[in-house]
Amino acid sequence: MALAYLLVATLLVASVALLIAYNRAQQQIRVLTEKCEEAIRLSQQQQQTLREHRHLETIKDEFISTVSHELRTPLTSIRGALGLLSSGMLGKVDATAHNLLRIASTNTDRLVRLINDILDLERMDSERASLQIHRCSLPELLVQAVETMAPMAEAAGVSVQIVPEPNGDIIAFDGDPDRVLQLLCNLLSNAIKFSPPGAPILLHTSTTPTDFVLRIEDAGRGIPAEQLETIFNRFQQVEPGDSRQKGGTGLGLAICRSIATQHGGNIWAERNDTSHPGRPGSTFVLQMPRITVLESLPMSPAIRPSGTILVCDDDAGVRHILAEQLRQHGYTVLEAERGDQAIQLAEHQRIEAILLDLYMPGLSGWETLERLKNNPVTADIPVVVLSALSPAARPSRGAPLIDAAQGWVQKPFTETLLLAELGRVLRASAGPGRILLIEDDNDLATVVLSHFEAGATAGEEVSIQHVRSLHQAKAACLAAPPDILILDVGLTDGTGFSLVEWLRQQPALSNLPLIVYSGRHLSEREMEQLRLGPTQFLPKDRVAPHDVEELVRTMVRHLRTPAPAAPIAAPVGLSA
Amino acid sequence: MRRILIIDDEDDIREVAALSLESMAGWHVTTASSGAEGIRAALADPPDAILMDVMMPMMDGPTTFKEMQAIPAIAHIPVLLLTAKVQGVDQRRFAGLGVAAVLFKPFDPLTLASQMSTALGWTT
Repeated sequence: MALAYLLVATLLVASVALLIAYNRAQQQIRVLTEKCEEAIRLSQQQQQTLREHRHLETIKDEFISTVSHELRTPLTSIRGALGLLSSGMLGKVDATAHNLLRIASTNTDRLVRLINDILDLERMDSERASLQIHRCSLPELLVQAVETMAPMAEAAGVSVQIVPEPNGDIIAFDGDPDRVLQLLCNLLSNAIKFSPPGAPILLHTSTTPTDFVLRIEDAGRGIPAEQLETIFNRFQQVEPGDSRQKGGTGLGLAICRSIATQHGGNIWAERNDTSHPGRPGSTFVLQMPRITVLESLPMSPAIRPSGTILVCDDDAGVRHILAEQLRQHGYTVLEAERGDQAIQLAEHQRIEAILLDLYMPGLSGWETLERLKNNPVTADIPVVVLSALSPAARPSRGAPLIDAAQGWVQKPFTETLLLAELGRVLRASAGPGRILLIEDDNDLATVVLSHFEAGATAGEEVSIQHVRSLHQAKAACLAAPPDILILDVGLTDGTGFSLVEWLRQQPALSNLPLIVYSGRHLSEREMEQLRLGPTQFLPKDRVAPHDVEELVRTMVRHLRTPAPAAPIAAPVGLSA
Repeated sequence: MRRILIIDDEDDIREVAALSLESMAGWHVTTASSGAEGIRAALADPPDAILMDVMMPMMDGPTTFKEMQAIPAIAHIPVLLLTAKVQGVDQRRFAGLGVAAVLFKPFDPLTLASQMSTALGWTT
């Protein structure tokens, strides 16, 4: 009997406990549902804003194109008519009339230049003028610029001299030759305009380990100290009326600075040494990085190629070439023709990494990847996907496995690219996670950094480096490629867009995981332009530094021990 | 004497360009104010080269060029496009059409003829 009572009592207690637990669970479900609804609402709102922004951008593009065309058409008639009249080909005009025609002609030219410059600046500011980076020779570009400006220099009675580089080095750099030539011509044109007849303009070049420096020294009237910086602003001139007298637009130096910063460089003006009475005037200094495209990254001895790589591709030719290349670099290679073979090999052999072709008959690359990641034995083996899709173009939504691969190489690939990505993946699976924080707001950076310090946990070491400028970011990436980048879009010396564009051109950096921590809304097109490897977009106004830290730790964990089918999740409703 | 056909919907530009080519190079110039009129003129009396505006109502420059390419009697005549669009994308698009050259508005009336000669490889 007592036993029965005890049993009933126990049952009662258990039921009550269950009931309480059930209520709690229901409550939690309600809270979660609310959160989900809120997230969906936010996401819809964001989508709407994105659509509106994109629409606005299209309208702006059309407007600029139309303005450009509509202004040029009447100018073409005016310019042509005036040119023919003042040439005297159609009959003599008297001196007064000729002078009036000349005034009309020069001002038409000025208007044309103004329209061109405004369009140029607008394009550069909206980052649509992407750079076509090539290896350039600085001396060649200088000669070209001097030749282009020769008629103007001759008319002004000014000579331009290229002072030979003291070490006799031929300075080469990675840049967009057309843009750099435009910059050089603008600077030369300025120097010529403000030089008295007979005064030479001197071009000096020199190098630092990472940069080249070009100094354009004129003997003109000089720039007052307080205007050395403001002359780079739009429509700023040393003396009012300069644009009329000298025929400039007031936009040349702004364009120069835009081009220099797009290249990760800088430009500024200095007053010439006043103790040198023979050379008053100014010197414009251009400093730009020399090497911005890496053929390969130096590998640290710790990650010297070693270990077994499994190559899975249905094309025997591709497999053979891959295997050959990897063996030459010290790896041991296993080959699999089909996905199921690859899984079997990975289950029974010690394998450091898998190179996986995405499109294979039978078990596709995706399915193979899924099975590898869902199998506890193989889940930790890093996978580098080989695909005709670019890493930036890979589907970003609705494909939870997309981030299950640690590496991505686009076909056709070079040996360098493949080895760099494989090296990165192997390197990333050991040691502390190296984070590069690119943020020009010191206060915000301090907050983010302190969260990382506070959140440090054993076994999840993260080393974080903070840089403030585009220039420093490139230098940091070149010195030691990070595992994850956190990027602020607006930087003092350029924008995140140009950094991403640069990174995309670096075989070894083009697939880095990236977190864009942006202070403003980004259009879908902008997001596309900012996509690197696995990319997350976090708006500053919605995501606290603490959440950034959490996301980074999740990403680092993922790099170290990839969890099966556990995609990296941005804070709810914000992943893109 | 070289014979040039100018196709542009703007009366003033046609006149200035024609005057420029006639007085600077001594070429014989005829004009047309639309793509369709241009094709008819070229068929009736094939010129040595065609200078054609890009932005025209009804049939624009690139479309007119493609139409001409499809007509064997005039497909061989070199076409130079004249455009007020200076954006890189547009330039590349026009250059990709297979025209002899893309020239920009506003053009310099004193050098238009020599620019055309250079692009066409004409020495006289």
